[in-house]
Amino acid sequence: MKNYIVPLILPLTALAACQPADSSSKTNDADKPAPFASTYAPQPSSTVLLKNAKLIDGVSKDIREGDLLVADGKIAFVGTGDIPDGTTEIDVEGRFVTPGIIDIHSHLGNYPTPSVRAHGDGNEATSPITSEVDAEHGVWPQDPGFDEALQGGVTTLHILPGSANLFGGKGVTLRNVPSRTVQGMKFPNAPETLKMACGENPKRVYGAKGGPASRMGNVAGYRKNWIKAAEYKAKRDKGGDYKRDLQLETLADVLDGKILVNMHCYRADEMVQILDIAKEFDYKVATFHHAVESYKIGDILAENDVCSAMWADWGSFKMESYDYIRENVPFVHAAGACAMIHSDDENNVQRLNQEVAKTWSDGNRAGLDISKAEAWQWLSTNPAKALGILDETGTLEPGKRADIVVWNGDPFSSYARPDKVMIDGAIMYDRETGLKPKSDFRLGYADLSEGVQ
Amino acid sequence: MRTLLLASAIALFAPAAFAQTVFLDDATIVDEAGQRSTADVIWTDGAIAQQGASLTAPQGAETLSGAWVTPGLFAPMSTLGLTDLGSSGRGNDISAENAPTSVSERAADSFNPRSPYIANTRGRGVTHAVVAPGASGDSIFAGTGAVISLTGEFDSVLTEDAFVFLSLGEVGGARAGGSRAAAMAQLRAAISDAEGFFRRYNDAPDGGDALSRQDANALRSAVNGDIPMMIQADRASDLVAIIRLKDENPELDIIVVGATEAWDVADELADADIRVILDPLHNLPTSFEAAGARLDNVLFLEQAGVDYAIANLSSFRVVKPASLAQHAGNAVGEGLDWGTAFAAISSVPASWFGVESETVVVWDGDPLNATSAPIAVTIDGEVMSMDSRITALRDRYNPLNTDQRPHKYR
Repeated sequence: MKNYIVPLILPLTALAACQPADSSSKTNDADKPAPFASTYAPQPSSTVLLKNAKLIDGVSKDIREGDLLVADGKIAFVGTGDIPDGTTEIDVEGRFVTPGIIDIHSHLGNYPTPSVRAHGDGNEATSPITSEVDAEHGVWPQDPGFDEALQGGVTTLHILPGSANLFGGKGVTLRNVPSRTVQGMKFPNAPETLKMACGENPKRVYGAKGGPASRMGNVAGYRKNWIKAAEYKAKRDKGGDYKRDLQLETLADVLDGKILVNMHCYRADEMVQILDIAKEFDYKVATFHHAVESYKIGDILAENDVCSAMWADWGSFKMESYDYIRENVPFVHAAGACAMIHSDDENNVQRLNQEVAKTWSDGNRAGLDISKAEAWQWLSTNPAKALGILDETGTLEPGKRADIVVWNGDPFSSYARPDKVMIDGAIMYDRETGLKPKSDFRLGYADLSEGVQ
Repeated sequence: MRTLLLASAIALFAPAAFAQTVFLDDATIVDEAGQRSTADVIWTDGAIAQQGASLTAPQGAETLSGAWVTPGLFAPMSTLGLTDLGSSGRGNDISAENAPTSVSERAADSFNPRSPYIANTRGRGVTHAVVAPGASGDSIFAGTGAVISLTGEFDSVLTEDAFVFLSLGEVGGARAGGSRAAAMAQLRAAISDAEGFFRRYNDAPDGGDALSRQDANALRSAVNGDIPMMIQADRASDLVAIIRLKDENPELDIIVVGATEAWDVADELADADIRVILDPLHNLPTSFEAAGARLDNVLFLEQAGVDYAIANLSSFRVVKPASLAQHAGNAVGEGLDWGTAFAAISSVPASWFGVESETVVVWDGDPLNATSAPIAVTIDGEVMSMDSRITALRDRYNPLNTDQRPHKYR
């Protein structure tokens, strides 16, 4: 754990982890478990040595050659170390071994396939202020997209409410494991998150429904509600009798530093307005999402220690995404700010490694000199940092969860595919044996397992 | 680290410099059929001056190794030049929700060659494209599509009336009033209207069952088989219905777009001479009609001998064709032969639409790999600019840009 900078948001992790979400309310029985608590338990795993690997560990700027030992679902060593008796040795024959990919912006489960209207559970588009809702209550664990994302090497996902509302609701961080329930997927003790949205979406959705109808209205909406939240927090801090309000509770938890703000925002000028609001009300924006113009303000984002989650080459689907460039991620990285890739899409989530490959190569073509191993941070290290789970996953370092992908080629290639995907040391996908999860939805349709003969 | 070395070499190569003499050492040459060979190339003023097994670099020429030289890419589906933004509103000419017309709406009349997306897309090696309108109103017919070159010039529409585009399946059913049967009834009636055009409409402008006089007239060339009828459909049963339609109307020249479940009826599509445009990345049951979506759909079509082209049909529309090569590359990742995949985004669709253009793209690596990019593009001997709106923004905000003036003055 010495090679990387300890992220500033780690203290929040600790804080969130040791306080039940509802501890502040007097009406709750302190002995009761938090509602919707994680019931995730890793699948059984054995002690496995991945031998002769090309290791991209998410920390080092170089690709290293060596072995990696998984024991008790954790990474025991990377490089060389003691091999216990009874260890299963897998010679990966020089293949790439990387951390599992983390997608910080996914709607798997709350906009699942098939994309029928009845499945649209991501936007509580009934009011611009819905900080009382939780994405996890709209996640369908049978979304076939989870299974396909796993085959693309994605081991952790952050599911967010949509961007219709100024305050959209809480997000949820999930292990990408097959489960009958969302609770069975929840990343244990991951910090809570709040989705907020800038710009066109809220004013479009509410322009004819009482507002906001403009960016001015958006900003007024944030500020009015932070004022309410501060009042609520003051009452709550005093400990006297007060009526519990789920909407304000979320916002007060943000002001208490317990919830990470994830802000959908495209335009550079708008992101800087948001940073001013955060200063006014003394909270922190963890990550700007989409952030199509982050490359214009890389220096300001670096100064404010705020991350950007971006696409490689998407834009122009609406005015605020008009100024997309192909080098957004590497330019933000080169400015010293925290940069990462994100999907926001059930297709791109399956090949985020290629999205990074594209933007990495375009950045170097523009004159930067970023190594592949360094660029890998955009796929796992930085999303883990932004979600407050870097002490548990996101890199290949001893003591961390063994969330690992073995690739059949260079992951910076359109031709490479994951061969094996491990979550907490358990092999969840194996190309060779055909092991892969299959959603209930897939049953009873044509058998897709038989390929061309 | 070969790519890196190459990439940094390219940074020194301003596109303007590339118009002079460049020596491509051990370049991979790809022919029309997608076959690869290795040769040295002397590239002068935007054209191959000399090509041979072992040439000597001319005096003063820049040397570049690891380059690929290929024909330009052909995007079999796009909305290039039809819209300024992906979202609807003024400036979006993809579809006309409230127009009384359908087949007679021509994409060529809306097409804007000066759209910044033309240069953006050309920068990814795409030299030609199909431009298709989108379904709208209560008609299954979206209109008549065009074929363009990406020169950005006003003479770049190569075929104004290249094909008629229509939707069946869920989209067509909804447009027709609510069911697949209604969509198919509308299509059969429209075909009859066009076939019997002079009889039906001669003395009765409203004599058609499904189409107005102008739309029936516009459909005639597709019904005669002079131009393709491009039909969006995904479910295997819809493809079977299209095969039946072709049985009944053998003169139709049908291209199916989407064809998500084509693998289930691949032999039948091949037997019926129905061509297919598919996206090899479509593997999720995005709708019930795509329940059988699978990554190896393309392998079934290949094995059955279906004539197919590869497109990006999934992500946001205005930027779709730019990532065409990546979609073909992923088909290779699933097991398709490299040359076959390359032809499916170049010579195959070009031949469908009779495009015989001399195009050359020089790439800094394997064009189907996500890390590669074009460094020079020529169309019919003309050297294309590699500058575009996205490169202008890139250069203004490049963190290596040492200009201290405010960004608007850079």
